[in-house]
Amino acid sequence: MLRRASKTVSLLAAAVLALAACTPGNPAEGNKTIKVAYQKTDSFTALDTMFQDAKKEFEAANQGVTVELQPIQGNDDDYGTKLALALRSPSTAPDVFYEDTFKVRSDVDAGYLLNLDGRLAGWGEWDKFDDAAKEAGKADDGGTYAVPLGTDTRAIWYNRKVFEAAGVALPWRPSSWQDILDTARKIKAASPDVIPFNMYAGKGTGEGTVMQGFYELLYGTGAGLYDPDSKKWVVGSTGFKDSLTFLKTLYSENLAVAPAEALDPNVWKKVFGEWFPKAKLGAAVEGSYAPSFWQDGGSYAWPGYEQEMGVAPFPTQNGGAPGAVSMSGGWTLAVGAETKQPDLAFNFLTTALNAKNSLAFTVASSQIAVRSDVAADPSYQSANPFVKDVSGLVAVTRFRPATSDYPRISAAVQEATEAVITGSRTPEQAAADYDTAVAGIVGGDKTIRK
Amino acid sequence: MTIPKQAARRRPGRQLRRRPAPGHTRGSAWADGALLLIGACFLLPLLWLVLGSLDPAAGHGTKVPQQPGLENFAAVLTPELLFRPLWNSLLLSAGTGMVTLAAAVLAAYPLSRYRSRFNTPFMYGILFGTCLPVTAIMVPVYGLFVQLRLLDSLPATVLFLAATSLPMAIWMTRNFMDAVPLALEEAAWVDGASRLAALRSIVLPLMRPGLGVVFIFVFIQAWGNFFVPFVLLLSEARQPAAVSIFSFFGQHGAVAYGQLAAFSILYSIPVLALYVIVARGSGNALALAGAVRG
Amino acid sequence: MAANHRTRQLLRYLPVLPAVLLLLVFLAGPVLWAFHSSLTNAGLTGRYARNPEWVGLQNYQRLLQDPVFPLSLALTVLFVAGSAIVGQNVLGLALAVLMRRARPVVSATVGTAVVAAWVLPEIVAAFAAYAFFSRDGTLNQLLGQFGAAETDWLYTVPMAAVILANIWRGTAFSMLVYRAALDGVPAELTEAAHMDGAGPWQRLAFITLPVIRGSIATNLMLVTLQTLAVFTLIWVMTAGGPANGSTTLPVLAYQEAFKFGDIGYGTAVASVLILIGAVFGAAYLRLLRERKP
Repeated sequence: MLRRASKTVSLLAAAVLALAACTPGNPAEGNKTIKVAYQKTDSFTALDTMFQDAKKEFEAANQGVTVELQPIQGNDDDYGTKLALALRSPSTAPDVFYEDTFKVRSDVDAGYLLNLDGRLAGWGEWDKFDDAAKEAGKADDGGTYAVPLGTDTRAIWYNRKVFEAAGVALPWRPSSWQDILDTARKIKAASPDVIPFNMYAGKGTGEGTVMQGFYELLYGTGAGLYDPDSKKWVVGSTGFKDSLTFLKTLYSENLAVAPAEALDPNVWKKVFGEWFPKAKLGAAVEGSYAPSFWQDGGSYAWPGYEQEMGVAPFPTQNGGAPGAVSMSGGWTLAVGAETKQPDLAFNFLTTALNAKNSLAFTVASSQIAVRSDVAADPSYQSANPFVKDVSGLVAVTRFRPATSDYPRISAAVQEATEAVITGSRTPEQAAADYDTAVAGIVGGDKTIRK
Repeated sequence: MTIPKQAARRRPGRQLRRRPAPGHTRGSAWADGALLLIGACFLLPLLWLVLGSLDPAAGHGTKVPQQPGLENFAAVLTPELLFRPLWNSLLLSAGTGMVTLAAAVLAAYPLSRYRSRFNTPFMYGILFGTCLPVTAIMVPVYGLFVQLRLLDSLPATVLFLAATSLPMAIWMTRNFMDAVPLALEEAAWVDGASRLAALRSIVLPLMRPGLGVVFIFVFIQAWGNFFVPFVLLLSEARQPAAVSIFSFFGQHGAVAYGQLAAFSILYSIPVLALYVIVARGSGNALALAGAVRG
Repeated sequence: MAANHRTRQLLRYLPVLPAVLLLLVFLAGPVLWAFHSSLTNAGLTGRYARNPEWVGLQNYQRLLQDPVFPLSLALTVLFVAGSAIVGQNVLGLALAVLMRRARPVVSATVGTAVVAAWVLPEIVAAFAAYAFFSRDGTLNQLLGQFGAAETDWLYTVPMAAVILANIWRGTAFSMLVYRAALDGVPAELTEAAHMDGAGPWQRLAFITLPVIRGSIATNLMLVTLQTLAVFTLIWVMTAGGPANGSTTLPVLAYQEAFKFGDIGYGTAVASVLILIGAVFGAAYLRLLRERKP
């Protein structure tokens, strides 16, 4: 019995190897190929669409060139890891890739990104890009290494139905942290099974934790993460502790989601796809791209979201100037430093980011335009009723410190929020742990007490 | 000097089914009960997989589907989601199985047939190698692959997987080879056959069941391995099912539980089937006896 | 003559070469590499990605100051002791003993159930365990039948959850080893003890266990080291959380090296793991060696 079985197995195995040998290896040895790596998820396909279009356009215009699209499936964190793994080896590094703005500097330091200065100078459309957005692609040496795709801001998104049920006057515009807590408690009292006000926390949601949560708090206290003048990282600030305390209040009074749920990396999908549409959530700090999920063709299409949702700026701690806080991030396209066809790769990049493709992508993913021609386009301005509100936040928005130590600092912040919402540390202890961690990452001489 | 070792050791896997232990009848009722209880506990986590896969509206909860159907299976039966990753898994596992088996047989022969001071330390070294926590060396292995430009290469990943399963495979293969009486081989030498010919025509055929066990053991391990291909294979087109199912979980995990369950089942069936083949052939013990006894 | 002999002996061992080469390149090489990288500040990105600098024992010093490291070390010990040394080992032995007393049909059926969890691909096993312990999962549903309140097992008792999951996944190995070992215990021995009036526990303690001592030691070594390396199960179930509540050393090493891009520090953690494995391995090998003349 077994004898026959093992014979079958070895035959099978031999067949497999023979077939494997026939499987085509790297396609198009002689032809020129451009490898493009980017992120694609079931709720984020706009970029995939953009590259598919750009591929057709580019291959039609350049005979003999093949654009090999390599979508990487995964959330931001996993995408970051996979991209970093691929970039480290010249044999697997893509020619063109989708790069988070906050990683640009550390990847330039690592030598992964090609300097685009000369090529950009020869590209007629480069002046159409917004100056603030261009900053995101610059490195410490002043050179530009990445071209922005779009940017975003963060605000409070709230469900009008929930607020009305609790008797909150609309439109809602909280003026301080206390205002938020009062409203959240009111909602809790009116409808106990609704989550009143969610802010992300913990390591599960990664950059979402800090971008749609902690930094809105921290920058509203007057404190900061990094002191650009002295080029040092801020430790020991009262603002940091206050921000953690606010999160603790939110989570311990059950005004936000249960901590166990907050740590789930997929919690944001429930926010967009389940809780808001079902009026199970009062408000949440989220990105300006929120409508991209709800609009027609979005991954959680929700007809009538325009009427049911409202948006408000996130207030400063006690309502002090400028009265609102927002954070901006955004993504870029970059060219690999060791690409064999730098010109082709750059040309592909410009095709992907031309006016037509940029407009389609900006609208589909509800980005804030970085090209003046896109921003002026009527189809962009009328894409959803919130474009004006969230674009207005550009006036008060902040960017993450663009240094190569940032990703690790961010991880330390996430760790601190997780420790606080799970109750394993008090805000004071977590803040002290953070200070130690920062000193460990950048060295004690690169920190400053404020 | 090396002397061919005399006679065989125990024959692993062949001495099951002895007389029942004393006290069989008296104790069997409560033994049955206790065993069934433990068995039920072991099946519980699998219940969700089976029920969820048949329930188009599945959540994390385990419940009998209200309208059972095969929609979940239909949804994941696509080339991109299922067939290509499974094909990659097959290449990876079969390749690993064969490389491992070939290297293990070659290594086992001298270890089984000659006596030398070299054997004992080597076997202990091998035993030690079985224990190396593979997760601990993934970072340097990644570094090695970067340096040698082997990242994202299926054959290189096969070689690495083969290296990690080799210690166990050599250990098992040597014990199986010990069980083949030397006398048979000697008869062939008398007839003028070379050692290699005797190995091929006498020893290997006799060991075939054992080799099948080793192959399948390695195959199952490679089939299930997630971490190694996750780190070493980057492009979607080369990823085995273990990795594609992980990204499926990351993206659809909060939404399509039923499809995840269906995907998991389709991915597990081949190894479960393989195991059943071995188990029926050589008794339940997978001849681990031979592998583990020193 | 002697030289001739040596050449012949070397030639005879030639077939070992492919295996040795594979092992050297892919196992021994990376181990040495791990120790080497742990003494540098190599990173996945940033200025030290391509040109790491030698930093001596700095990573190890940082390890000693990192509050997560002692926690992680303790969790690893807890995980290994709970799920391997006690859980899988004892449950595996119990199953093997019970199977010899139970009806063959029962023992075959239960054996298959236990082995199924072991044969499953690790990632599938991890999903199943995740779903089992999740908030609206099977465990809560079962307990709900008895009126117990819903608990977030993965959140409140993450270590207990991953330990149980690992017992579930790995017990089959010990069970198979012990079944084979018990089959090798001469029936005359236990029968003689039975005649002398020894009860089942006494026979187990004084006859069976001493006879299968070797198998116990080998099994302990294998399950300990397999468990030490468990990554996927924990990563899928809890990702090391909450608040590092289930960050064992492999999870810590992965996080540091790949998620935070600090390859030097990550390999320092991995090196500690390798050392712990080596110590365990050496201890068990000593045990085994002492047993044999």
